[in-house]
Amino acid sequence: MQRLRRISVALAVAGVLGVAAPAAANAVTTVTISGATASYPLVNLLAQKYVKLHPGKVKFKIAQGGAQVGINDVAAGRVTIGDVSRDPLLSDPAGLVFYPIAKYGICVITNKSDALANLTSSQLVNIFTGKTRSWSGIPGASASGTIDVVSRTSVAGVLTNFQTLLLEGKKVFSAASEQSSEGLMRQAVENDPNAIGFVSNYQSDKGSVHAVNISGVACNRSTVTSGTYPGVARFYEVTKGKATGAASAFIGWIRASSAARKIISTQWVPVT
Amino acid sequence: MLARLRKPWPDVRAERMLGAVSCLLAVLVVGMVVFVAIHAWPTFSHNGLGWLGSGETPETSFEKMQATSVNPPPSAYHLRAWPLLYGTLLTTVVSVACAFVVSLFASIFIVELAPERLRRLTIPVIRLLASVPSVVYGLLGVLVLVPFVGNHLVTASEKASVANTIELTGAGLLVTVVILTVMIAPIMIALTCEALASVPSSWREGAIALGLNPLRAILAVTVRAARPAIVAAAVLASARALGEAIMISMVSGGRAFKPNLDHGLLIFLYSPLRTFASTIVDFREGISAPALGSSLYAIALLMLLGGFVLSVCGYLIKLPLRKYQVRG
Repeated sequence: MQRLRRISVALAVAGVLGVAAPAAANAVTTVTISGATASYPLVNLLAQKYVKLHPGKVKFKIAQGGAQVGINDVAAGRVTIGDVSRDPLLSDPAGLVFYPIAKYGICVITNKSDALANLTSSQLVNIFTGKTRSWSGIPGASASGTIDVVSRTSVAGVLTNFQTLLLEGKKVFSAASEQSSEGLMRQAVENDPNAIGFVSNYQSDKGSVHAVNISGVACNRSTVTSGTYPGVARFYEVTKGKATGAASAFIGWIRASSAARKIISTQWVPVT
Repeated sequence: MLARLRKPWPDVRAERMLGAVSCLLAVLVVGMVVFVAIHAWPTFSHNGLGWLGSGETPETSFEKMQATSVNPPPSAYHLRAWPLLYGTLLTTVVSVACAFVVSLFASIFIVELAPERLRRLTIPVIRLLASVPSVVYGLLGVLVLVPFVGNHLVTASEKASVANTIELTGAGLLVTVVILTVMIAPIMIALTCEALASVPSSWREGAIALGLNPLRAILAVTVRAARPAIVAAAVLASARALGEAIMISMVSGGRAFKPNLDHGLLIFLYSPLRTFASTIVDFREGISAPALGSSLYAIALLMLLGGFVLSVCGYLIKLPLRKYQVRG
């Protein structure tokens, strides 16, 4: 009997503490975010800076999972903001608002031993749609033999962007090997002298693979900023309906403040 | 209060506690199967048995599934999963066959022939090998084996000969099977060693006394007596091979191609493939698209059932051992 009483007292105390803790934290608003793995490093940096600048006001919970996860979570109201690494699609649920926060270039990469300087737009399309299957058909390539096209699984937002922006909407041909992450894609291209692939964050892969110019334009920050590079895609923050409250303040801060622009400019390009 | 818990429990209470824990486990397993089955139902009901047939490649179907909205029409569930099933069966059967041969002879050596010191060293090492996480094998595959096969074994003419259907990049059946064999052989060796060691040595000694040479005696008496346990070990190991996901996803080349012998043995070995488990890993990000999610659950359900069937088989195969009073 005595033990029963002790247990009930313990439970009561735990209950009070459990209720009290969130009550005390009520002054701090929690913004929940989920979505694209590609934009996670950026959003994470931005959120950290934002918390530092607005101490005690806002808290972030950021989860990854992929662009589609972000879309579905925010549409279902499970998170305040969804991170998306691709442009809006027709199949996206209605009522979502997309706020572009940064631009990035999708670079076409080859093995370091293949000092391919330039690909014209049509050469690129021919390679990725399987029309050109040998490096001998590509002037300037130092690789020889069959072209190993490396692609991403269709759940990747960067593949969707790559096909719209650089392949004129055509699909990567069906024999290409598919990698399930950007890291494995880079590894596959790094290992194979005949490989060609594409990445969204070439900045961090510099040195291990070689980026090819597209129609004479290099893939780097300045061409992405000026918009001369054809493969420029956007990261979006997505909300259900217009952003309100803390989410609106955060998104507004990302898009307008100089502190946020500085963070974005380290590896990506701010949206003008 | 803790002191009270530390005191010996009355039998009745201990029995109830343990009973409750095992019931909870059983409920969990049943609940899990039901949960997966409910989510898998739409894809089975829309595809019927055609789900297991061949047709449009699974990658194409998955891509279409993602483009559909929240309430997909029945046609969005279209999937023909035979290439995935084929890849699963092929990798499992081939690697279990290779591991079976290796582990049988390794265990005979360890149990019957190895000097005592070597035996004391090998058994813990094999236990250790059996516990290496599969992602470590996957990394070794991506960083060492795949580039080796791709750059040194696959020739330019082999690549060119199949350039329009598949890419031979090194990632494929060969690397998958080699790593899978290395992964499951330690489990089989450990189980087979136990089975061989449990056969009374007097039986083998009797056989030698009757005039068989030692090796014949081992094969004819020890191995024969432990046969069901050896087969059961292979069956349990195949359950692991069946469920291996992350390693295969990293080294299999990521194409639901059905490796075949049309272009010769070598190209067969270099062909890319996809298995059930690696498909779930590769397309997990799209699980919130309803049709794709349901398809992945359907794959998971088949793998669960396959796992159950294998473990029941493992149990049934070992039954005959009881009549010899041999533990396996």
